[in-house]
Amino acid sequence: MSHPKLASIFNKDEKKVDWHDKALWFVRHKRDKSVHSVKNWEELRNLGQGIKAHMLSNLDIYLEEFEANANKNGVEVHWAANAEEHNQIVHNILKENNAKKVVKSKSMLTEECHLNPHLEADGIEVIDTDLGERIVQLAKEPPSHIVLPAIHKNKHEVDELFQEHLGTEPCDGNPQYLTHEARKHLRQKFIEADAAITGVNFAIAETGGFVVCTNEGNADMGAHLAPVHIACMGVEKIIPKLEHLSVFLRLLGRSATGQPITTYSSHFKKPANGKKMHIVIVDNGRSEQLSRPDFRASLRCIRCGACMNTCPIYRRSGGHSYDATVPGPIGSILSPGKDLKKHSTLPFASTLCGSCSDVCPVKIDIHAQLYKWRQIITKETPQPFVKKKSMQIMGSVFTKPKQFETVGKIARWSLRNLPQSVINSKPNVWGKERDLPKGPKQSFDQWYNERQKNKNNS
Amino acid sequence: MGSRAEILAKLKANKPEALPLPQIDSSIFDEGLNLIEEFTKKVEVVGGNVYQATSADDVVKQITKMLPDTKVNFSTLEGTSAFNTIDLSTINDPRELEDLDILILESDLAVAENGAVWVNDQSLPIRVLPFITKHLVLVLSKEHILPYMHQAYEKLNHQPTDFGVFISGPSKTADIEQSLVIGAHGALSLTVFLLD
Repeated sequence: MSHPKLASIFNKDEKKVDWHDKALWFVRHKRDKSVHSVKNWEELRNLGQGIKAHMLSNLDIYLEEFEANANKNGVEVHWAANAEEHNQIVHNILKENNAKKVVKSKSMLTEECHLNPHLEADGIEVIDTDLGERIVQLAKEPPSHIVLPAIHKNKHEVDELFQEHLGTEPCDGNPQYLTHEARKHLRQKFIEADAAITGVNFAIAETGGFVVCTNEGNADMGAHLAPVHIACMGVEKIIPKLEHLSVFLRLLGRSATGQPITTYSSHFKKPANGKKMHIVIVDNGRSEQLSRPDFRASLRCIRCGACMNTCPIYRRSGGHSYDATVPGPIGSILSPGKDLKKHSTLPFASTLCGSCSDVCPVKIDIHAQLYKWRQIITKETPQPFVKKKSMQIMGSVFTKPKQFETVGKIARWSLRNLPQSVINSKPNVWGKERDLPKGPKQSFDQWYNERQKNKNNS
Repeated sequence: MGSRAEILAKLKANKPEALPLPQIDSSIFDEGLNLIEEFTKKVEVVGGNVYQATSADDVVKQITKMLPDTKVNFSTLEGTSAFNTIDLSTINDPRELEDLDILILESDLAVAENGAVWVNDQSLPIRVLPFITKHLVLVLSKEHILPYMHQAYEKLNHQPTDFGVFISGPSKTADIEQSLVIGAHGALSLTVFLLD
């Protein structure tokens, strides 16, 4: 389904939309407060952008350096061209280790590859251990936000889910109680796990190590208790040197939630005695995105979610309306590169206000890329008849000042005089779900000319 | 090995012309922080507590007063073995640490700007310790507090570690309706003691 269709489903529950909108705006506000207290924040963003852009322009070299160092550290490195190969590699590692129970910490990449259903089909139990991810897993839904996976669920829904699946007592949605019960439930899963899968926030070429950031401690509980640790990363997670972490760890937490840093920033390099560590490096369309000069900057993304929290469309349409692994503005520039037809409505899910680009810690020109995808999509995918025709008519009207003036006059008169039932009727898509302003008596042109005349007279 | 050669060849063919690597000039971020004050403030912001102590003995004394009647305790501080109720050398599987109540660890690096304390393999006999314990106590000499992450990594560049972690506060989550709950999967509380 298209973004507008899915968004209208989300918009049926107005109260929930209002809550969603405000909750995310509050996170954006916390980000602002935190960011404004950092001296030379803009310089920090410039560094983040510069390091990532340099990395992308030498990506093959840094990946080889990373691999060589990881091997020296006793870590086995695997390469996957696509989602299917990634899933097979992980599956094989689990089979080799006779692993039947797996705990997973947050990894958008494994979501992108649909790893869970692949493993579950072979009878392997995969438990998502981030609380938000566990909630959506129990609800059999995908995450709706990359940092706050269950932001679309209210506490009463979580209460019901936990009663059904974890056998908790009804608690009127008490977050303290529900979190505590989830801790007990997942503690058992950590203890029983045969293998742990984590994502990777940053992989350091110079050391062969990698960093995983969480607030809950779930990545560490999984990785240190289970005998096997598999870390899955997209090729673009590489940074050249250890010291570059100073830039990215300063940027990430503040941009994501306003925290000065995530609770745990874990630096994995060598497996502990008697344990095994694997890294799976995944392409899955990234090398192709790298070939597109207009869109390659999207690969700088560090997955903080700031663009989602600030986006007026995301906040009011919900993450599921994007029907993509990564929703929101960044998802809308990443997804068309993977499947232009399926995601053809996403670059239009934006007002092009530019707020996403303003908050992006690595200065991706998200709104400019949304605009550029629109140019490609209108050429390459069929557009609705009404939209196509009205654009043609508007295009012609805009080139003829006299006609424009007349059309303007009619439109202003109509907005003043026509009854609400006509203004908000179905053919007028601009009147859908919104009140239109009263039409002013003057056009801007008339107002300006009058003003100039009065000026000259006085 | 999988598709290694194919992926690398594609990346090589598709990458843009080489761009320069920017140098980090950490002096531009310097606000002349009062390190102890800022560190204390930030640890409290992220849900932890900071206290002063005069010695390792004093740390143990204070923490037993704050958290009395705990069953399973372990400290890596020198001369505090009387506090320990378990012997790590008899632990064969980290899963046996499930009931750990208090863990006291030493650190030689903390960061004022975010209240993060560095813990690594050298002071960590078993990696899961600071995550699986109910209450985590970190002990740190005041002179080891650095202003920003930049200075921290300058130091870490000279201390290669197999595993290390920056810990900022107790574990937490806000995944249920954005209500902050302290105590997710890791420690339920974090206490930092500063030594002169």
